[in-house]
Amino acid sequence: MSELTTVERVGLYGGAALLLIGTVGMGLLEIIAGAPHPVSGEGQVVHETLISLSVRSYTILLGLILMATYGITNLATKPPKDTSI
Amino acid sequence: MVTNIQTRLLGRDVSFPVEESRFAYWLVVMRLIVGWWFLHAGLDKFLAWPFDASWFVGGAAAGTSLAPIVTLFSDGIMLSFVNVMVPLGQTLIGLGLIVGALTRLAAFFGAFLMTFFYFINGETGGWAHGVITGDLLGLLIFAMIATLGAGRVLGVDAYLAKTEFVRNHPRMRYLIG
Repeated sequence: MSELTTVERVGLYGGAALLLIGTVGMGLLEIIAGAPHPVSGEGQVVHETLISLSVRSYTILLGLILMATYGITNLATKPPKDTSI
Repeated sequence: MVTNIQTRLLGRDVSFPVEESRFAYWLVVMRLIVGWWFLHAGLDKFLAWPFDASWFVGGAAAGTSLAPIVTLFSDGIMLSFVNVMVPLGQTLIGLGLIVGALTRLAAFFGAFLMTFFYFINGETGGWAHGVITGDLLGLLIFAMIATLGAGRVLGVDAYLAKTEFVRNHPRMRYLIG
């Protein structure tokens, strides 16, 4: 277990933050401040969104990209310290 | 049976003891089910060969946030590459998880593929059932398998971890379970 560098913090925490903002954060905003969203007979949520769905998509995508970048750079730059396990 | 999970969050040591004798059981169940999910998806495509992904990479993907990348693979040699790599990748990811070989590598590529399925299926469907879809949950399970390094319980990775090659190449530990 080692301390994280700034770049790693951006990848891990920035990635998770964006993923959570895109899913939970914007989801809560839609519930609190969005239009009512009745569920249709087929289970579809029919309503206009407060935040454009493509903004939400890109937020989640950027979060996932940051997390993947963290994983790949970690593999490329940091061999595991404890090789006994 | 108490296991001490040594872990950190936001720079703080948040290690905690867990009394959970079913930890290994759950890792194996999760690996087998997710592994079969992908092995089945890959084998299905090989059994019904030829597989043509153009409806997805060329059709469905157009207009989505991944279109700039995915549509590059919609014709010619790039499409042929996808037509082979998707079923081959799914089969190898599934096999890797089931036998627990190169588990983290398999889980990484599983999450990689799920990223495409998640955004393209979600956006073409207008996120009609919300943004937390089965595809995103699949992606998260792959991430969980990679995080937990689930390949060393009843898996080939338990053997690989002890080999001379892995001992001489510590970075391999990031690829095995």
